[in-house]
Amino acid sequence: MIRFENVKKKYGNTVILDNLSFNIEPGEFVVLIGPSGCGKTTTLKSINRLIKPDQGKIFVNGQEISQVNPVKLRRKIGYVIQQIGLFPNMTIEQNIGVVPKRLKYEKKEIQKITRDLMEMVDMSFEEYAHKYPSELSGGQQQRIGVLRALAASPPIVLMDEPFGALDPMTRATLQKEIGKLHKKLNKTIVFVTHDMNEALDLADKIIFMEQGKIVQMATPEEMLANPASPLIRDFMRKSSLATDPLNLTAADFMSANVISVQKKKSIRECTDIMARQHIDSLVIKNEDETYAGVVTIKDIKKHGKSSGTIGEIEPYQNITSDILENAKDSFDKLYNSGDNYVVVLNNDQTVAGIISKTSMATAMADTLWGDMQ
Amino acid sequence: MIFFETYGDRLITAFQVHLFYVLTSVTIGFAIALVLGILLSRVPQYAKVIMPLLSVFQTIPGIVFIGILFLYLGMIPATVISALAVYAIFPILKNTYTGLLDIKKEYIEAAKGCGMSPFQTLLEVELPLASPSIIAGLRMSTIYTVSWAVLAAMIGLGGLGEFIYIGIASNNDQLILAGAIPSAIMAIGLSLLIDVLRRVVVPKGIRSVK
Repeated sequence: MIRFENVKKKYGNTVILDNLSFNIEPGEFVVLIGPSGCGKTTTLKSINRLIKPDQGKIFVNGQEISQVNPVKLRRKIGYVIQQIGLFPNMTIEQNIGVVPKRLKYEKKEIQKITRDLMEMVDMSFEEYAHKYPSELSGGQQQRIGVLRALAASPPIVLMDEPFGALDPMTRATLQKEIGKLHKKLNKTIVFVTHDMNEALDLADKIIFMEQGKIVQMATPEEMLANPASPLIRDFMRKSSLATDPLNLTAADFMSANVISVQKKKSIRECTDIMARQHIDSLVIKNEDETYAGVVTIKDIKKHGKSSGTIGEIEPYQNITSDILENAKDSFDKLYNSGDNYVVVLNNDQTVAGIISKTSMATAMADTLWGDMQ
Repeated sequence: MIFFETYGDRLITAFQVHLFYVLTSVTIGFAIALVLGILLSRVPQYAKVIMPLLSVFQTIPGIVFIGILFLYLGMIPATVISALAVYAIFPILKNTYTGLLDIKKEYIEAAKGCGMSPFQTLLEVELPLASPSIIAGLRMSTIYTVSWAVLAAMIGLGGLGEFIYIGIASNNDQLILAGAIPSAIMAIGLSLLIDVLRRVVVPKGIRSVK
């Protein structure tokens, strides 16, 4: 269906595509993946002639594409981009009908196609067809972006990180939908991503690229079993880190950066620490490092004296959680107790960390989008 | 009231002549600016040189320019209209050019990817998206032209400028106002008209943007 033969592309002295040759069979869902700058997007855009290679030949449907009028070629190849690119001056219906209109379909037919396609992604024609893109959410817009690419039923659809700009929830839904659409419509799909999970979920075949070359072209199973290079293994590892949220424990969400003091510390020192760290409470430890409780600035004020040790103040018994406790249970505690945080304790009752609303948000972001640093 | 008995007819004629100058020169200027703006937006690398050169034109005082044209073309309306048209070009040209260049690349890429020819892309995507900017340029040009058209009187070609010049020469405030106030009204009226045009031309989907 799509064949690359010794395709080369350079920008200045940088080699973008280095003698690339591969073959994509009809009906295959092929995912191009690799680190940024590896040439995956360039590869994709050479297929519909948005980028012209310096050397080599690309065949689509047996035809050498440099011999085909690019405008005609593109009408037979669906194209979805990351920035969605719905025309803001056109309604949803007009957007979906862009290619059929060029191909001189009749108005009624275009409307029928639009209706059918919107039905496939559970969007009501009556409700959305006459709206403008700006009135839709990002996820809805990209659904329409995909439908626009499918409208003239092209045998091939190119997708350039189509879900990259969407939030994780929407992305997951759209991934499912695109998988379904692929099975149902039997299109050849070439899909660029940098998200290995997405690749593993969707692909029949993954092409892993690095510096303009194919490092490995294999099925997801094969690639998981025998990654051809350390870089691929690294990509896989990163993606496998994002585990099932149900299995996360308090340890995954806590901040280990806790300010704690022993009971024998003087109150004056404690207030100093609190002022310097901009916090209004301290975790108090017994002499054997085990957790004793929490003292807030209010407690100190109530105590009245700044002489003596912090141990003289009766510490507040803050809510605690075991380090191996399920993260969800810890959250429930946090929300139901009214305390500002949950103190996470190790098995020996020493303090491991705290879960505050902030640390929770950071950890969630980490899990969803990878390391936030 | 005596004023209107004396000058009423002349004022109406002057207003009409003034309006005629403004409308024809802005129309001509708009057509030239639109085409030029589109052409320049295809070659931004040249436009970077050409645009500043054109803006130099803008700095030549209107009086000088009309004066020079007067020497070559003589005392005919075409002199005034071509001079005003030249001045009307620049704001529209600039706004057309920047309006087209400011369009996000994703729309152009999507249009290409959908198999639109360059001309279709221009007509169906680029111009509609640039229309708010183009109309803003048109408004600017129109308002400027109303005031520049006053210069027509300088070479004896009528318009509301006549009243202003005579008023200044004879130290007659009433006459000056008789020229200035209708000019202002014309500027406001045309600007309102352009608002209506804007509502027709700018596609619904992008109206909220600006």
